Amino acid sequence: MENTKSWEPKILAFLCNWCSYAGADLAGTSRNQYPPNIRVIRVPCSGRVNPLFILKALQGGIDGVLVSGCHPGDCHYLTGNYIGRRKSATFKRFLEYLGIEEGRVQFSWVSAAEGVKFSQVITEVTNDIRKLGPAKRLVKKSEELGVRSFPDP
Amino acid sequence: MREKAEELLAKKAVDLIIGFGEGSLPLRATPLFIRTPEEADQLIWNSFCDNNLATYLHKFNRFKIGIVVKGCDARSVTALALEKRFQPDQVVLIGVPCQRMVDRRKVKKAAKGEILRSREEGELIIIEGDGFKSSLKRDDFLYTSCKACLHRNPVQANILVGEPVQESGLAEAYPDAREFENMAPEERWRFFEKETRRCIRCYACREACPMCYCAECFVDSSIPKWIEKGLSPSDLQFYHVVRAYHQTGRCTACGACERACPMEIPLVYLTQKLNQEVSELFDFEAGADSKRLPPLSTYDVEDKQEFIK
Amino acid sequence: MKLNPARLSKKDLAPFLKGLAKDYDLYAPVRLTDGVSVLKKVEPSDEIDLGSNPQKGLKEVFFPQWEVMFQYEAVERRSRVASMEAVPRERVVLGARPCDIQAISILDDVFVGKEFTDTYYLQKRQKTTVIGLACHEPCSTCFCSSMGGGPFHREGSDLLLIDLGDAYLVEFLTEKGKAFRKNEFLKKATAKEMALAKEIEGQASKKTNASVPVGGIDKKLDQMLESPLWNRIHEKCIGCGACTLLCPTCHCFDIADEALDKGGRRVRNWDSCLFPLYSLETSGHNPRPSGRERTRQRLMHKFNYFPKNFKKIACVGCGRCILYCPVNFDIRHAIEMIQKEEGATAL
Repeated sequence: MENTKSWEPKILAFLCNWCSYAGADLAGTSRNQYPPNIRVIRVPCSGRVNPLFILKALQGGIDGVLVSGCHPGDCHYLTGNYIGRRKSATFKRFLEYLGIEEGRVQFSWVSAAEGVKFSQVITEVTNDIRKLGPAKRLVKKSEELGVRSFPDP
Repeated sequence: MREKAEELLAKKAVDLIIGFGEGSLPLRATPLFIRTPEEADQLIWNSFCDNNLATYLHKFNRFKIGIVVKGCDARSVTALALEKRFQPDQVVLIGVPCQRMVDRRKVKKAAKGEILRSREEGELIIIEGDGFKSSLKRDDFLYTSCKACLHRNPVQANILVGEPVQESGLAEAYPDAREFENMAPEERWRFFEKETRRCIRCYACREACPMCYCAECFVDSSIPKWIEKGLSPSDLQFYHVVRAYHQTGRCTACGACERACPMEIPLVYLTQKLNQEVSELFDFEAGADSKRLPPLSTYDVEDKQEFIK
Repeated sequence: MKLNPARLSKKDLAPFLKGLAKDYDLYAPVRLTDGVSVLKKVEPSDEIDLGSNPQKGLKEVFFPQWEVMFQYEAVERRSRVASMEAVPRERVVLGARPCDIQAISILDDVFVGKEFTDTYYLQKRQKTTVIGLACHEPCSTCFCSSMGGGPFHREGSDLLLIDLGDAYLVEFLTEKGKAFRKNEFLKKATAKEMALAKEIEGQASKKTNASVPVGGIDKKLDQMLESPLWNRIHEKCIGCGACTLLCPTCHCFDIADEALDKGGRRVRNWDSCLFPLYSLETSGHNPRPSGRERTRQRLMHKFNYFPKNFKKIACVGCGRCILYCPVNFDIRHAIEMIQKEEGATAL
């Protein structure tokens, strides 16, 4: 149950360990402010992110997903982010084709030295999601089966 | 076709031929498995040979197989060969240039009662039932995927049976995807939601598809458990998004998925979009080139990334 | 006391249903799209399609494809559990076909046993009145008459509707059914209408296939467990499970626990013996490792194991598996092949 006046977007951020996660750390130590709406999941590489993670997140009620990795050419595993780039491109287009709002799922390259860029990206993404409103498509509702609310004790 | 099949079996060039035989119902053909030259007489070919027989290659990959293929099926075999599902010289393709297959459901809906007998005569399908007989133009009753087909000739075939047909000059490729994209996002979602809601998780789409062969499908995974086994609408959407997405760069637009569905859920518009993406982004078409790696298992340093912040 | 049949004018059908909805939850074939319908609880926006034979039939009413068995919730430092088998309102099913109704007697054998009873099934069963709809235009794929049933098979229905054209003849078959005799829309049927119904019944009974050779098939199969027939018969089956899910007698299920945020629920879902996961054991061993064993299992269960346990063949000849199989696997042919197989004695 959300009160739309005080609704805050919940955003999941998959950050690659070597670049984006370090970039987030740098934003933190430099005291660069960014909105507190993200929940971070550290992954070894942006290429590790399985599109099913994104779907599962949306199903669970997450309002937005960000996948962030190393710049092309800088991947710690050399080519992981290139593979990730192809997955991201095809999956993002497919989701938008089905009607998932454009902007719910976003992608970025943030290096370990780009603390400022990290805060900027998070601020932008959070504002985008705030404008889109709470995610309603694909969300799994527990009332689906006509499960009645609990009888009073 | 029967001659070629007989020859192959007599020479023992193959252990088994997978083709089509007479169905037990009007408007149907059925997959046929023959092992001796004498059985070659049972092979048929008509506008109802709509299964993609490449899906059987996984079951029989210990044998040398001859397989009857249309344009789309031949590409599926090429795509499977690329994924190393069988040895290169194990499969002999008996290619038939495709006249495009007729959607028996559309025909049934146009009939005045239950169809008891049917036959083809040139460009017509003659259907008969209790108290009615009609002639229908076959081109008015083609499958969605056949209407959009750009590769009816099985160019990779080892043996070609019949004259190559003229490829249809479609003004635009991927017509169903384009039509779907014309709708607003909310409309698209509502359509997808409404159509997937009647899914009964029978997995006919998955089993009919030659490219679905995972030893453990994601729906059966319990660690992690992606979706439940029931009919939660959200899970049904999840299933269809992922099943289609797993075909990225692998689907040959044969339409077997949509034809297999007992609940008549449209599916071709999903994979058609992915085929369009893969063509636009990576200039790739599944099964067309037996040397190019599937797009999601490789990369190009110059790939587009305008969508990445 | 045998009641004379009544008649329900088709013009009165809508107000009749509306009246029923006041006291009962109504279940009827609902159109989902052109050519597809399922028997389900009728919501206000649903389109009832009585003339259709739904893909998912009567089985769904008593044994739904997914149902919550119980749910639990964390409350403060304890948890509470609520079991979900209670059926709050009486139900009426309208438009069930005689084949589906015959299948329920098979499901009754499974779920309502002497020793063990499935309360989820039983509660629904006890609270439901079944209004059957006789098949006046059977399909050529129907072979109910070969399986001990028929297009006008009455056993299992509380009331039977017979389509006369502009009205239905309504037969009262059980005490539960007779409770409807006072319904304002059920008027007296004329002798002419009753005669017409008999005529329709006679014609319909001729149309269904009564010659599928199931006589003695269970004994025949006793000798055939390792028959080479199984090596050939399974080849074209792709193992999709559509036949088992649409079959009115198939009843395999799977129970799963779903964790939701502050609690969870235990859910029962349909399963299929044709899925490899169904018989996969935790060790990794699968006693039915390939399509050959699974196809064999399906046919043996229907025509050998079930008759051994319950003296009934677990098939009612509805023809859905024949109509919807993506590769046109025809169970009638399978039966014929089994009966013809040499090297085994048939009685």
